[in-house]
Amino acid sequence: MREITLRVNGRDEHAVVEGRTTLAEVLRDHLGLTGTHLGCEHGVCGACTVAVDGQPVRSCLMLAMQAEGAIVETVESLGDGDGLGLIQQAMWERHAFQCAFCAPGFLMTVRCLLADNPTPTTAQIKEELSGNLCRCTGYASILEGVAEAVAKLASAAGGANDA
Amino acid sequence: MKMSPFDYHRPDTVDEAVALLETYGGDGKVLAGGQSLLPVLALRLTHLGHLIDIGRVQGLQSIEVDDDGSVSVGATVTHARVERSDVMAAAAPAVAGAMPHVGHRAIRSRGTVCGSLAHADPAAELPAVALAVGAEMIVQGPAGQRTMGAGDFFEGYLSSALGEDELLVGVRFPAWAPRAGWSVLEVSRRHGDFALVGLVTTLEIDEAGLLRRPALSLFGVASTPVRVAEAEQLLDGNAPDPALFAEAAKVVSGALEARADDHASSEYRAHVAGVLTRRGLAEAAARATERAGV
Amino acid sequence: MREQIMGRFVGARVRRVEDRRLLSGRGRYVDDVVVPDMAHAAFVRSPWPHALIRGIDTTRAAAVPGVYAIFTGPDIAAITNPLMGMLALPGLYDPWHWALAVDRVRLVGDPVAIVVATSRAVAEDAAEMVDVEYEELEPIATLAHAHDPSRPAIWPKANGNVVYAASESFGDVDAAFAGADRVISETFRQHRHANQPMETRGTVAEIDADGNLTLHAAHQAAHVLKWCMAMCLARQPVWMSVRDMFRQREQTKAIFAGAREFVRAHPTMMKDTQRMMPIMLRQIARDPMRMVHLNRALLGLMATPKERLPRVVTGDIGGAFGSKMTVLREDIALCAAALRLGRSIKWIEDRNENLVLGGQARDEQVAVEAAVMNDGTVRGLRAKLTMDAGAYPGFPYAAPMFCRFIQTMFPGPYRFDAMQFDIEVVSSNKPTYGAYRGPWAVETWVRERLFDVIARELGISRAEIRVRNIVGPDMLPTTMVTGPTLDVRMSAKTTLERALEVADFEHWAEHQAASREQGRRLGLGIATYIEAAPGPPGFIDAVMPGFSAFAGAEPIHAVLEGDGSVTVHTRQVPHGQGHETTLAQVAADELGVPIESVRVRYGDTNFAPFGIAGTGGSLSAAMAGGAVGVAAHTLREHIVDIAADLLEASPADIVIEDGDIHVAGVPTMSRTFREVAEEAMRRGVVGNTDRLGRGEAIRVHRDWNGGEGGWAQSTHVCWVEVDLETGQVRIPRYAVVEDCGEMINPAIVEGQIRGGVAQGVGAVLYEKTTYGEDGQPRSGTFMDYLIPTTMEIPEIEIHHIETPTDIAYNYRGVGEGGMIGAPAAITNAVEDALADLGVRITEQHLPPTRILELAGVIPERTDR
Repeated sequence: MREITLRVNGRDEHAVVEGRTTLAEVLRDHLGLTGTHLGCEHGVCGACTVAVDGQPVRSCLMLAMQAEGAIVETVESLGDGDGLGLIQQAMWERHAFQCAFCAPGFLMTVRCLLADNPTPTTAQIKEELSGNLCRCTGYASILEGVAEAVAKLASAAGGANDA
Repeated sequence: MKMSPFDYHRPDTVDEAVALLETYGGDGKVLAGGQSLLPVLALRLTHLGHLIDIGRVQGLQSIEVDDDGSVSVGATVTHARVERSDVMAAAAPAVAGAMPHVGHRAIRSRGTVCGSLAHADPAAELPAVALAVGAEMIVQGPAGQRTMGAGDFFEGYLSSALGEDELLVGVRFPAWAPRAGWSVLEVSRRHGDFALVGLVTTLEIDEAGLLRRPALSLFGVASTPVRVAEAEQLLDGNAPDPALFAEAAKVVSGALEARADDHASSEYRAHVAGVLTRRGLAEAAARATERAGV
Repeated sequence: MREQIMGRFVGARVRRVEDRRLLSGRGRYVDDVVVPDMAHAAFVRSPWPHALIRGIDTTRAAAVPGVYAIFTGPDIAAITNPLMGMLALPGLYDPWHWALAVDRVRLVGDPVAIVVATSRAVAEDAAEMVDVEYEELEPIATLAHAHDPSRPAIWPKANGNVVYAASESFGDVDAAFAGADRVISETFRQHRHANQPMETRGTVAEIDADGNLTLHAAHQAAHVLKWCMAMCLARQPVWMSVRDMFRQREQTKAIFAGAREFVRAHPTMMKDTQRMMPIMLRQIARDPMRMVHLNRALLGLMATPKERLPRVVTGDIGGAFGSKMTVLREDIALCAAALRLGRSIKWIEDRNENLVLGGQARDEQVAVEAAVMNDGTVRGLRAKLTMDAGAYPGFPYAAPMFCRFIQTMFPGPYRFDAMQFDIEVVSSNKPTYGAYRGPWAVETWVRERLFDVIARELGISRAEIRVRNIVGPDMLPTTMVTGPTLDVRMSAKTTLERALEVADFEHWAEHQAASREQGRRLGLGIATYIEAAPGPPGFIDAVMPGFSAFAGAEPIHAVLEGDGSVTVHTRQVPHGQGHETTLAQVAADELGVPIESVRVRYGDTNFAPFGIAGTGGSLSAAMAGGAVGVAAHTLREHIVDIAADLLEASPADIVIEDGDIHVAGVPTMSRTFREVAEEAMRRGVVGNTDRLGRGEAIRVHRDWNGGEGGWAQSTHVCWVEVDLETGQVRIPRYAVVEDCGEMINPAIVEGQIRGGVAQGVGAVLYEKTTYGEDGQPRSGTFMDYLIPTTMEIPEIEIHHIETPTDIAYNYRGVGEGGMIGAPAAITNAVEDALADLGVRITEQHLPPTRILELAGVIPERTDR
């Protein structure tokens, strides 16, 4: 057992973990950030996706100890105070999710995608999201949500330019 | 499932890492990206007493082009970095070209090139690329450093020639010839899955317009990546054209004793290997022609 | 959230109220539940498909630091009642069984012990150290094994490995076949695959300071879970139960009074029960211990003081598709262990467990003969259904119930003079066959495949044969040959005609030929079906006589709270269907309030109205939608009455607009909902129930029996492109033409349809639960069980049709339809793409290897 310090959602957090404790577990069980979900624990479904140093990472395939010194962001960081952030708002408007168990993983994947490329094509969006499984929606509504987020980003950027 | 317990080590230098392997190598493994190792542990398919995390080891994070044009990739360089690297795109395009096939974005964020090679999954792209281009593995052990050709490195299913006390510190891809072309093709059940059948094709087209140094490196069909020498010999020194490619394809599917599993029969793999040969040769030849024309 | 159409929420794409918390990561799924001093459980599971348990030694495991306790099969059997199925079907053997395996394991993964420890990881470490001595038995892994008399019977008192056999005929079958021009026969094999919601199953058994149990569950039917669990936990000697019942006389009297009331309210039930008596007696004669256990369990249940009954609470649920409707053996062991230890325990199924043991279905074969006329009319059918139900029957009801649905629905929206239907259910060393989105879907797949096969044999078009046989509006109302009524709103033919237009079917052959010349191999497939969502009045009795007494009407409690807000209590348990929004839409429209003023509550057995069913069967829009409508309507009447008094006006002159109650035409003469609530509380007006909850002003209970009910219907059209070099099948276009009546929320309807179609794509091209002949599961991870990603699911066009009607609450269900139509449309399209090669598709799973084998490009494999 070892005490580690992680930077999560802009704050320094401490936790005592074993070697085998995954990043997903330390987030959920030690830090109470239960927004990140466990769908398979073997790195296929993507429900556990968080951002580590800006890149999307399956938190079930990263040890907590490996995350020491890294900047970790989870779905809880996406909000705007008490309100929904831009991507969440877009998903809400487009009825993107049903049971929403997969949603946090998708949201973080999208967040990383748009930070890297704010104007992805439809094909790029589909491909980038192909590592996140959803069982309820058949994906169309999620893809529409991403398109809406792209549009919102563009108009926010446009608005800023106008100012 | 949860992993069974292990001791976690985080060496700072290669020497420290090797020393740990010497002590614990029998009951331990190297952890780099973890994208191959951690699922295996998470499913309790294996129990290890020790993980040696080389993520912070100095000197393993570089991509370097040598004077001879060969490019060395350190052990902790991720797929994502290679995917974005202009250096790799120019100096080792077959490697860079394999990247979009490797898993998904999140896997590429953490997974490493050397990790994929050391894991030696015969259905993975990078071992087949290494075999096609004749990459050299740079191995560090208690006795010092040695190199190994890709042909000697992959021994069996998930089994490489690395000793228990040895660390793969890097891989060197030979210089990419001025008139060379490449292709990485695979057929998988879903996008991003391991290949049912995959083919890495590299070749050169000489000044006379003839094929030189063709390499056909199949993945997903056997317990290691495999080259099909008979087909390569058929191609070498001949003019690239669809009829020749079709002939080579027949040789490939005829020669292949492909593995069978729930996802594909051996007949399927042999047949598709032939299909990919035709398509891969055409694609590689086109790239070679384009590159030579530049 | 202000979206409305002409001032109404119903019909608008209202954004979901639940999304705020779910998108913020503040959903509360069962694995998010943490209670004080919570321990964790893991199960020791059998590595063998079929074996005797010779011994079990927990010494090494108990010594692992952090282990609180280990309970074996016999330990749990001593403190629980066994699981006893509730289906009384003639010809059914439904074996009772213990929560954990006691003397025998019957599938890989069969739980034999539960380990309780400080963490899941420690529990798993210890579980690995439990030493179990097994003596292997020959496995039953295929239908052939199940029919092989030399193999052992999984349930010795069954008929070999056949657990259910039945036969029924409708109309004059012999005459239909005698009068036919020809008989066309074929055997179709559907493959086992799995529900696979993104959230697995699991429960937190919370024990409070008084030793009372609360189950934090992810379950589709909270009351079912509560009562089944209560029955299984009510284990004590009979004499003790009798004594307790005597001591708790008031409660005992109330129980009997309630039973009498129930029987009085359902007069036909006694008749139906009488029919069941000989069946039940035969079951007891075959297995007398069943009577002993049932007796002890029922008395134990009646003796349980009301306050000690478990409470079930559900939070957010990550999908189910039917797999969270039964009571799990693991949950019973978990709760028994928690009560015995006096401590809360969490068990969350991991994905490996869920793939190996979780919801699986569709493991059916149908051998069918059709009595066909040369013009394509199909006069009659003979069908033999063989279903592999796995080892353990589902609790409280098992797979044979689905066979009844399959039989009833087999004719679909088509006219047949006669039908013979034989059923055989076998057991095997595989997981329980459970409900999976449209459990009866094989009827559509086989029937729609059969029409294509017949059309090709006769040389007539696949459109023609359907149009010829389908029941059109001019024939309505009529009845299906199996009994249920087809009412005038049944518009399957309309959906078919529209679909043929969308498909441009009349030009398809040319288009296909032209593409073939360009080297592209395209196919087009059509499938039409109807779904009982909720079906005509009395539908469920046609399927299972007497069942409507239990399935019953849909209850809703509509409450005006003291602060003027409205709460709707439902027995529905949403797990993706958006009920918090859709039911609020209905209530808000009825009451004339903003949707934000309505809150939908569910999942807590302390509050949710009682029901045998929960959420499933595509019933919520019709049943809950209708129930909310009538309950809100009644609530409105009470509110208007009080407001009228306060405003000294006549109730007929009161209008409610956007939450403001006022005299028509005089907006200044108004009252708020809050003021009405306060007046109600002053008066002590309660509504139509006999008690108010705390802080409630008016409480109304209404039941909805489905009204006119009705069918949902749809025709699916699938285009495929087959690559005969790689065997890959692409779906360049997919269209659904559907009529589900009035839609409460079109966005939600469309999401359900697309989700269902996606699962159909998965079934045909990617998903199969694979077993070796040795009974070993081979698709225990997501590397082998392949769920389609964004790249595999086509764009799905949806064309809505709404057949006009005056009927109120004309909502019909769509939850399951996508998954019923898609496999048929897709396989029909693939056959069309390969028809020139003489390929006939009789199986539903078509991975690349199979496509190339069927097309003759590669020889068939011999190793599987």
